[in-house]
Amino acid sequence: MSAPEAASKPTPFSKEGQPPAKGEVTILVRNLVKRFPGVVALDHVKFDLRKGEVHALLGENGAGKTTFVKILYGVYVPDEGEIYVDGKRVTFTSPLDAIRHGISLVSQIPQIIGSLTIAENIILGLEKYGMMVKIRKVENFIREQSERIGIKIDPNTEVWKLSYTQKQLVELLRAVLLGAHVIMLDEAVTFLPIREKRKFYRFMRDFAKQGGSVILITHKIPEAMEAADRITVLRRGKYVGTVNAKEATLDLIRKMMFGARSSEITYKRLPSSKPDDKVVLEVKDLWVMGDYGAFAVKGVKLQVRAGEVLGIAGVAGNGQLELIQAIVGLRKVRKGKILIRTNGDLKDMTNKGVGHIRKLGVGYIPDEPLKYGVSVENNIEENLAMLPLIAKTVINWRKMRALAKKIIEEYKVVTPSSKTPVKLLSGGNIMKVLVSRELTVAKKMLVAYNPTRALDEVTAINVRKIIKDKVIKDRIAVIMASEDLDEIFQVSDTIAVMNSGRIVGVFPAEKADRDKIEKLMVM
Amino acid sequence: MRLVVTRRIKPLKFGGIIIPFLSIILGVFLATIALYALARVPPGLVYSSIGVSLVSPQMLQTFVMLVILGVALIIPFNAAIWNIGAEGQIIWGMIASAFIGLCIAVHYIYVSPSAAAQYSGVPGAFILPTPTATGKEVVAKLSMSPQAGVALMLILASLAGAMWALIASLMRAFLDIDEVATTLIMNYIAYYLYNYVVYGPLQGVTISTSGFGLSNPLHPALQFSRISVSTTATWEGVGIMIGVFIMAWFILRHTTFGLRLRILGSNPNALKAAGISVRKYIVAVLTISGAIAGLVGTIFFAGNMYQLMKIKTITTPPTHNIGYTAILVSWLSMLDLRGVPFAAYIVASLFQAGINLQASLGSISGGAMISSGALTYVLIGFVLTTFTILRVFSEYRIRIVRGRG
Repeated sequence: MSAPEAASKPTPFSKEGQPPAKGEVTILVRNLVKRFPGVVALDHVKFDLRKGEVHALLGENGAGKTTFVKILYGVYVPDEGEIYVDGKRVTFTSPLDAIRHGISLVSQIPQIIGSLTIAENIILGLEKYGMMVKIRKVENFIREQSERIGIKIDPNTEVWKLSYTQKQLVELLRAVLLGAHVIMLDEAVTFLPIREKRKFYRFMRDFAKQGGSVILITHKIPEAMEAADRITVLRRGKYVGTVNAKEATLDLIRKMMFGARSSEITYKRLPSSKPDDKVVLEVKDLWVMGDYGAFAVKGVKLQVRAGEVLGIAGVAGNGQLELIQAIVGLRKVRKGKILIRTNGDLKDMTNKGVGHIRKLGVGYIPDEPLKYGVSVENNIEENLAMLPLIAKTVINWRKMRALAKKIIEEYKVVTPSSKTPVKLLSGGNIMKVLVSRELTVAKKMLVAYNPTRALDEVTAINVRKIIKDKVIKDRIAVIMASEDLDEIFQVSDTIAVMNSGRIVGVFPAEKADRDKIEKLMVM
Repeated sequence: MRLVVTRRIKPLKFGGIIIPFLSIILGVFLATIALYALARVPPGLVYSSIGVSLVSPQMLQTFVMLVILGVALIIPFNAAIWNIGAEGQIIWGMIASAFIGLCIAVHYIYVSPSAAAQYSGVPGAFILPTPTATGKEVVAKLSMSPQAGVALMLILASLAGAMWALIASLMRAFLDIDEVATTLIMNYIAYYLYNYVVYGPLQGVTISTSGFGLSNPLHPALQFSRISVSTTATWEGVGIMIGVFIMAWFILRHTTFGLRLRILGSNPNALKAAGISVRKYIVAVLTISGAIAGLVGTIFFAGNMYQLMKIKTITTPPTHNIGYTAILVSWLSMLDLRGVPFAAYIVASLFQAGINLQASLGSISGGAMISSGALTYVLIGFVLTTFTILRVFSEYRIRIVRGRG
């Protein structure tokens, strides 16, 4: 590995246990080792975080990023190694310890209570950690900060009414109110549209200016280069190197993250699967209700043909999720029709139920894979056998094992065995299991929402290739909503833009103009 | 230096064996101390009673029923559906078995005392012990082969148990009413229903039964056959136990139904997205559990009781509260089917030990001060408490770390 090791000099302690001078290292990690059954998640990792910096942590799926921040947050206890906070050796055994030391973690999933207001949630959070604050003070703080950031929230609304962006902001503000001087964001802004992301990055920058420090986990390299001061890369649990963001190039970081495999990264359009005239899915004037009692899908009309990938582009929260859920039968259709080709004819499948629709040979990659995709307590074989299309009443375990082995091999799933509970796999590897399982059952159609969301670039591109190959080979129809425009452009044969519950434009992918599509998305 | 408690990624190896075993030893030890402190029960006597009951044939019947019920409960428990209603389901099994055994499989002939003699020794005829209030003797005659009668008893008992559980399952599946509360409350409804039946439709016809809250006795040809004179366990009961166990093992390990019910316990949303009706599974899981518990009703009725007898106080139902004890068995087995026979063996032994201990205490002090039930529950209670505490070690690791946090 030719990556430059620690581009600028971090300040090592002269003696163990000596507090660092101000403006220097606030967290120092040495020789951190964490083993999970069958896997070494972190293998002698070193890391240093300085006061006033945004430090991005990058790495492919399963590199150990999440494990690393979870150790700093006291969720896991390391097997070996030392952690120093402001020069003092610490052992965290619960998040409470971390919070006491001013370290907070914001993850992908908001941890707030839906039936309480924002202010109540934050007060509750503070009391849990033994801090008494007046509610008026909290309200004012939220108002001021949200105004400054540019994402408006009223501290007295109930949390269930908030959008995902707003919820994540609440999480972040809570961390600040907890007196954190180190905030760790574990893919916390990954699902946000880029404009909102920038607002968060600006907030982090301000926070750092005031002497705080941020650890930012993302799998988007350009964003890390834009938002961070320094970038540390992990690969398969090992420390690769630390570089200054200003001096880093996309190529260099990719090489650090993927090694030789970085040459596989390409955003060229995949070869077209040449759709034929046979319509597999037809959606007519579809109206679907969202969670908050308003229509999220408003009269959508679309068609997907055999051998076609229809990509639905759009900013999150414009009805794509509800549309996808209605197509697989997980959400009730209020008006309109969904027709799916069965035995040569288009048959009405509106509100027929997810069981019925899936049996036609429909694969489904849901938006929250850990909640709707896999059962994390069960192993890979069991996660395969749970689908009616894979196992009949009596399970042939030998067949399941063979299928699991095939998937592990083909998709390079990193797991000790096919009998390992899925919860012990990294997020990306879980996603691989899910995608491969759904492709196995997708004899007719694949319905997907952000199919490569948690995957690193190399894996994501490979998954897209596999989907495309399947379309070419088996002539299935794919309808895929994605918030990642690169992804839409790479796999789609046809691009539909969704905005405020409506399809506002349909383009053949070869002739689609990116600028135009981006404008339609935010129109 | 300080203690650090961390959750284990994987539970302790062999924890499933070591922990129940250790909790029994420790629990029994603590129970003897408590019994000595509270009632001056000699520890030696406690140990010898337990020792004897471990190999006593008398505990076999309790063991058989606890295995069947342990299996019945482990199925919904794996799906995180809590059937606390085994008691009621057993009661329904008893009523259903009594209905078949007393009304369908036999018919009664009323004869004058002089004519009764001609029926003695006639195959298929059984003269009830006492005459009717009007002085007539009653002869019960089989209306079908005893095998068919027994089969019918089991089938109807199982159906009755299933139907009783079905009510709670439907409320859970469609109205989202907590099944813990409904199944529990329905036990008491079942007890009172049982009392209604012994004074109503199933009350006996003879002078010693009618109006006394007793049913007719079961025709001997329909009674289960005891394994030996020293035990109340029956061949039929053992057969049912083995059958139920194998069936449950097959369902849980080798069918998609079994796999999905385990997933239902941890991630119902994934099931929904896979196209599986979670409601159907909730209903099925509880109904199967009730059906198995219903079988225990027949084992009670045709193996031990032979006659329905009114419940005098609600705390002493004819089930001896075994439906609740079975919850302990399924818990001690750590919800693993393989652990059920072991857990059932231990709990059954402790049950028997309580009875033995009370008998020995009676002979020593000339009058037992403590009931066998109390002794039994002190023993079982201590074992369970230790088990609950020790289980923490299976999931958490405790170590000493140097340095300050």
